[in-house]
Amino acid sequence: MVKLKIDGKEVQAPEGMNIIDAAELAEIHIPNLCYLKGMKGIGACRMCLVEIEGMKAPVIACNTRVKDGMVVNTKTDKVQEIRKFVIDLILSMHPLDCMTCTKAGVCNLQKYAYDFELKESSFTRKKSGYPADAANPFIKRDPEYCILCGRCVRVCKTQGTNVLDFMGRGIISKVTTANDKPLQESECTFCGSCVDVCPVNALLEADRWRKGREWDYEKIRSQCLSCGNGCDIIVSTKDGEVAKINAGAPGGSYERYICAIGRFGFDSLKSDTRVTSPMKRVDNELKEITWNEAVSIVSGKLKEAGESVGFISTAGILNEDALTLKKFASDVVKTKNIDTSISLYADAESMRAEDANLEKADLMVIVGLNPDQWTRVLPAIDAIIRRKVNAGAKLIVINSGEPRIASVATVNLKGNEASTLSMLAKTLEESQKSKVKSPESETKGAEEKETSPFEKAAELFAKAKNIVILAVPSLYAASTNIAVIANKLLLPVPEVVAVPIEANAKGVTLMGLVTEGRSYKEMIAGKAVKVLYAVGEIPLNSGVRPKVDFLIVQNSHLTSLAKQADIVLPSAAVLESDGTIVDYLGRLKKVQKAVEPPEDAKTHREIFIKLAKVLGKAIKKPSETAVKKATKVKKGKPSMGPFKKQEGFDIDPVEMIESLNASVINGSRLLWLKEVEKAVEA
Amino acid sequence: MSEEILAEEKGKNLEEIKKEAENKACPVQRNLYFIEEFIAGPMCGRGYPCALGTQEAKIRLLRISQHLEGVSPSDVEAIRRIASNMIEGSFCKKGKDTGRFVIETLAKSEDDFNQHISGACPKKECINLIEYVINPELCIMCGKCQESCKYNAIVGEKRELYLSGYLPFEIRQKRCTRCGECVKVCPTGAIEIITTKIEEEVVSNK
Repeated sequence: MVKLKIDGKEVQAPEGMNIIDAAELAEIHIPNLCYLKGMKGIGACRMCLVEIEGMKAPVIACNTRVKDGMVVNTKTDKVQEIRKFVIDLILSMHPLDCMTCTKAGVCNLQKYAYDFELKESSFTRKKSGYPADAANPFIKRDPEYCILCGRCVRVCKTQGTNVLDFMGRGIISKVTTANDKPLQESECTFCGSCVDVCPVNALLEADRWRKGREWDYEKIRSQCLSCGNGCDIIVSTKDGEVAKINAGAPGGSYERYICAIGRFGFDSLKSDTRVTSPMKRVDNELKEITWNEAVSIVSGKLKEAGESVGFISTAGILNEDALTLKKFASDVVKTKNIDTSISLYADAESMRAEDANLEKADLMVIVGLNPDQWTRVLPAIDAIIRRKVNAGAKLIVINSGEPRIASVATVNLKGNEASTLSMLAKTLEESQKSKVKSPESETKGAEEKETSPFEKAAELFAKAKNIVILAVPSLYAASTNIAVIANKLLLPVPEVVAVPIEANAKGVTLMGLVTEGRSYKEMIAGKAVKVLYAVGEIPLNSGVRPKVDFLIVQNSHLTSLAKQADIVLPSAAVLESDGTIVDYLGRLKKVQKAVEPPEDAKTHREIFIKLAKVLGKAIKKPSETAVKKATKVKKGKPSMGPFKKQEGFDIDPVEMIESLNASVINGSRLLWLKEVEKAVEA
Repeated sequence: MSEEILAEEKGKNLEEIKKEAENKACPVQRNLYFIEEFIAGPMCGRGYPCALGTQEAKIRLLRISQHLEGVSPSDVEAIRRIASNMIEGSFCKKGKDTGRFVIETLAKSEDDFNQHISGACPKKECINLIEYVINPELCIMCGKCQESCKYNAIVGEKRELYLSGYLPFEIRQKRCTRCGECVKVCPTGAIEIITTKIEEEVVSNK
């Protein structure tokens, strides 16, 4: 820790921190426009100039590291004049639009103009005249408002999408795509990271206009449950409706990301396919009925079938819903046939695994995983890995194919993953043995000898301090062997994590939704169960009705499976329920309710409790402690196993994620994207 | 070969620009030249004080030198402010040098700047503020100026010995572009450059 003085206040800051962040610790705000927390300062806007005692000229606070004994003055006359000058210049080329601008209240330019008392610019009025790009329903770009700070360019570059850049220099420069094309003709994935960092109104959601001012919004922190990442989000609501969604991780966090599905999918809360009332199949058509009727029919069927009832669910339900389902199925209906879609891609053991700390990792290994922002398969992991590699971390890719992320890998081990892992383990053992034998030969001959990729990988393992292995669940067991070997060889032990395709796979497994009877695959085909109770957006079902006597579907939207059901029960969507999930790194995260569900829709747990009451056995709402208790995993000592990929889990993650989110995609503006992509392919 | 290209791209260095600026007599023109060289030369183009400031400074200098509508003492103040902020706030040496040059010129010749605002160019360089006139006392009506003028701006009749009465030679201000060709060919130095507000003695240009 370093001690310094800022504006007379004593501050203690960690070594290597820049002055802007250090001042924030002392609650002193140094004005800045182009600084982005978490990234190196570039010093383009010159707003953060501060005077340091002992130095003649002012220095930029964003790129100057704190030193012990530094005395910093952030508000001398000289730097205040420069700041005023800069804001004055920017105002001269910015539309003076605060009255109707959607950024009013949260605009940095407005804030600084207020702080420096600038009513209008004292310089000549300049207008760029560049037209806005509003041809897509996601993001609107308006260069008139752009202050050329470059934050969007840098964010897009470090996360690997590289869509935006400066065109031209000086006052006529413009932030735009390659060849100045509209966004949908570029490589843009519409993740909206640029919208989150823009300090003014130049990049915003396309439908933001007329949806209220920022101070009208209620902001709720929650999670997105569209895929295995479980990204943090902030939901802004007005008058009980969702207005917009932003990434929720704090500014500067390596995890701050949300893809187009999470950011713009909320339109589906009001789509036509929303189930708003219980329905019963009459003469091959679904007819609306009351809750009382629905409950009596369902409970009757469940009582009748007893042991031959099968429950299947997606892993996108919350911990509390899963715990209630488990109690309902085993204690009330007394059946052993409970399974989830997790069994399509993972075994329970890999989902019960330990946590990992990805933030501190300086070496990441991905095994069989293909995180990809462009196909929206675990896109946040793709962005996180690219950002960390940009900041100096190393990456080893072990994959039988050619994932896009291999282009930023430090070592790319292409080939059958199980045999690659086995080879890697052998190389680790050999390299450690040779080090013990002759430590000098390593430094002498190492530069001349050509090292194989495996040897390079082994070197990275030896040099790293914090290693995280992200594996597909089918290769989890084989990957833990590496941890066992590293432990044996007294190398730093990697944390191994199996990354599921669905958001709450770990939570749902820990809550006990693991089958003791029939499996998911058997039940969905209709084998050996008379009554099938399907919860959630059951994926990869082509509308074929499973061969059961009675089918109950409980979901928020009318899926193709639901259309074949005998009874449909309306459930609350993710943004309409409270609860918790366990994310892919093992963290317990809170999901908060943002809006009310439609009148007749209920959360999953409410429906189970209601049914249980009618069936004569009361179950209580799960408490916080009950959920926390269930998430406690006993960490056994990992042992060596065979280097084998587990069979039966070969599902295409792209197809699965699209299928899991089908109602969201088809019921929101994301459908536009699918049609544009189809048109391009054609 | 590549060195030449690099040298071309590097642009003129500070000394070269200063020397060429000295060719201009009027300090306003000197500043304008310096700023235009700055904008035309390679620069990072990102820092606000430099990139945006010089564009604004150019607009103000053009206003002063061409006596455009709206010119006022605030233009000089703006230029001074831009230049001093460039010295303190800019990223690189180029920006700081430009700022220093402008401030020094302003300090040395502030009076000249102020005269421009009233409509006069003491060094007689700024085109909109000067006029070319023919002094009838020195004019021998040889007609050489009329021949040299590409813009047909000079009216008058050549003196013929047998004619009595004559049309004096005059320069039509609306057509005159202040190119200076007529001054070069006049054998008696009868063409003077005056600045509209202040009238001085005949200055013979060589």
